[in-house]
Amino acid sequence: MDFEPAYTPEQEAFREEVRSWLAEHVPVVEGNVDSDENYPKYREFGKQLGKRGWLRPTAPVEYGGGGLSVDDAIVIGEEIDVYDLGIPPYYDTGGTLGGASILVWGTDEQKARMLPPIFTGQVVTWQLLTGPEAGSDLAGTQTEAVQDGDDYIINGQKIYVGGTHGADYLWTITRTDPEGKRHENLSWFLIPADSPGITITPMELMGDGGEGVGRGHKNTIFFDNVRVPASNLVGGVNNGWKVATTHLELEHGSGGRIGRNRWFDRARQRAQGLRKAGRPILEDSDTRDRLADVFVRTEIARLFDLRNFWMNRSHIEMTYEGPQASYFRKMAHLATAQSIMEVVGPYALTSDPRWDTSEGQLDAFMKSSIVDLHPGATADIQKVIMARRIGIGRQVREKAGKTAE
Amino acid sequence: MDLSLTETQQLLKSGVEDFIARESPREAIIELAQTEIGYSQDAWKKAAEIGWLGMAIPEQYGGSGSSLTDIAVVYEALGYGPVPGPFFSSGVLSAYTLLALGDEPQRSKYLPLIASGEAVIALAITEPDWAWGVDGIQLQIERRGNSYGLNGTKLFVYDAITADYLITAVRTGDNPTDVGFLIIDAKTPGVSIRRVEGFFTSECEVTFDNVDVPGDALLGGSASALNGFEAALRYSTPVLCAYKVGGAQAVYDMSVEYSRERVQFGQPVGRFQHVQNHIVQLVNHLDSARWTTYEALWKIDARKPGQDISVHLAKAVTSEGFVEATNYAHEVHAGVGVMREYGLSLFTQLSRSLYHSLGDPKYHRRRLADLIYDDGSSPAGADHDHGDHDHHDH
Repeated sequence: MDFEPAYTPEQEAFREEVRSWLAEHVPVVEGNVDSDENYPKYREFGKQLGKRGWLRPTAPVEYGGGGLSVDDAIVIGEEIDVYDLGIPPYYDTGGTLGGASILVWGTDEQKARMLPPIFTGQVVTWQLLTGPEAGSDLAGTQTEAVQDGDDYIINGQKIYVGGTHGADYLWTITRTDPEGKRHENLSWFLIPADSPGITITPMELMGDGGEGVGRGHKNTIFFDNVRVPASNLVGGVNNGWKVATTHLELEHGSGGRIGRNRWFDRARQRAQGLRKAGRPILEDSDTRDRLADVFVRTEIARLFDLRNFWMNRSHIEMTYEGPQASYFRKMAHLATAQSIMEVVGPYALTSDPRWDTSEGQLDAFMKSSIVDLHPGATADIQKVIMARRIGIGRQVREKAGKTAE
Repeated sequence: MDLSLTETQQLLKSGVEDFIARESPREAIIELAQTEIGYSQDAWKKAAEIGWLGMAIPEQYGGSGSSLTDIAVVYEALGYGPVPGPFFSSGVLSAYTLLALGDEPQRSKYLPLIASGEAVIALAITEPDWAWGVDGIQLQIERRGNSYGLNGTKLFVYDAITADYLITAVRTGDNPTDVGFLIIDAKTPGVSIRRVEGFFTSECEVTFDNVDVPGDALLGGSASALNGFEAALRYSTPVLCAYKVGGAQAVYDMSVEYSRERVQFGQPVGRFQHVQNHIVQLVNHLDSARWTTYEALWKIDARKPGQDISVHLAKAVTSEGFVEATNYAHEVHAGVGVMREYGLSLFTQLSRSLYHSLGDPKYHRRRLADLIYDDGSSPAGADHDHGDHDHHDH
């Protein structure tokens, strides 16, 4: 067994190239990376990454990707992580998940037309999955697309979607056969965000405005007779659920990652300066036990992600591992927030510049650890998927969604 | 990066699986649990012939000097049985203790006996004032010219019932670290051994009644041997963890199987979400135990930094995880799970019995805390380079 990526001399040389290029191009900003002032700088940075093929390193060159090996992509990921950034360096999970789905299910014409703008960072894309009537029951969406000549006309509503800074494209699954069987009545569309009839309204949710990428606000989106060319239907009519299994699989954690254990470090750093009744709190054995709990949970979460990264990149058939990592991380974060409250006391709940030394991170985590229980399928749904994949109570185990061609 | 087993490891694993099917099927293990010694000495001899007892021992002493991960693969598969017997106590813990602490004559005398299975050696550490760690060792030696006198009790000593020798931790002086290890022939007059009754697997009481131990029994001649013993524990603990991972895997497989077969309210019970939740939590504990254990094994074999952190993490997680895994399995199985002939309770008993072995989760969490808090990196000296550990040259 080997828990570390092995790097060839070529990769080490590539690392040098990436490192020096990043040193010149990563925007130097103050404050929140997602503020109105800073966001355009990161968008511009993303386009520059895109020109080099580093925005989507493993995507095919013909569609604007870098055509690089997984190992080279790891190098890019590690080097950009030094700046506490990922790729893309702004909220574009719609591009990541949508791009992967179009790669698997799109026609050659669709791939050639849709993917280069996404993979080179020319556009930002939002995923629109949750509707007022379709949360965990995603396939029960009431958003409807009706064919009209060469177009489809979409009506419906999505909630808890997108971010603060707008999008160029939206994608969603819609009902295209009201009489059809469940999972065989849906179609997947890529929709220009400036199409007439689309209204985007910000929502007010707990944790809005927190630190970091994509933490601004979520939106409600209304589709009122929105006309979309039929050529934007990806994966075939009434085959949208199949397309969705690709991005759902990825969203459920099957991609894995090589991560650092940030939350333990943050909690320990915050605890380090604090005293309780005159004594450093780190001398208190209950406090030490709670921090050890944080370490144990977050290390397990890291190891699950690492295992999934290895399985995904080695093309080992996965079953329950994606939703397991996702479920475990959600629950570990919730429990970790509670442990941090116990460790640092009321200081866990403040972002007041006078009293907080975490730059608002702990305060934001108290909220995000709750908010994050739901996106990308709730913790309960992750367990349901795990049960099907394990084959609990059933002889035939459900297979994981297709994440590569 | 490659988290899969090597071809050799796959062969080791299937070797144990074949052995279990042939020599130690679950029905036989269930019956063995009722016997005085709790295991089959015939199976023990066959396992020794295959070489499983010598894996931790270098070739010069009659073993195979295998990597820690290879050893753990075998022990994980044994834990799936769960094959009973003093495999871990003798073949791993005592072997590593002798390697870490013994002088050349001691190594040459005892290690070949372990490797061939001719002798069983067990470690007697804990006492009636139970605590893992140096504070728990209170048994004083009495210096008598060329020998040591011993009076007192060691309690919860695993696998002592068939032990030929007992490596016994003793207090040699007044300083907290004045601890030495005597290797004592179990037939020495004044030594008595009996099984402790209860929800135990192999825990024994060892009484020393005016026992006279020859002077050359002190391992390495050292009256201050804790550092060496820590090294032995660093190697042994992840192997014990792997044994528990094997046990938890067995419990998981039984539960999934049962969820498909048992029908209530007209459908397999696994169709009920509460039952699904039990198995989901079970597999989360299983996988947590597995991957923390594997990472510790890899760090030691590859001589990476942070070995002690990973070992403490793995031991805390597997001890808790194995107990939780059996708890969830019992919820899935209800009444059937507590029937002796079904076999689930073997694992339940083992998960409790091994919970405290080599330190309970609280002990390991506190040790972990000491290593990870006090500055940004691991504190100086606490997690040093272990490359000088001379018996491991793989």
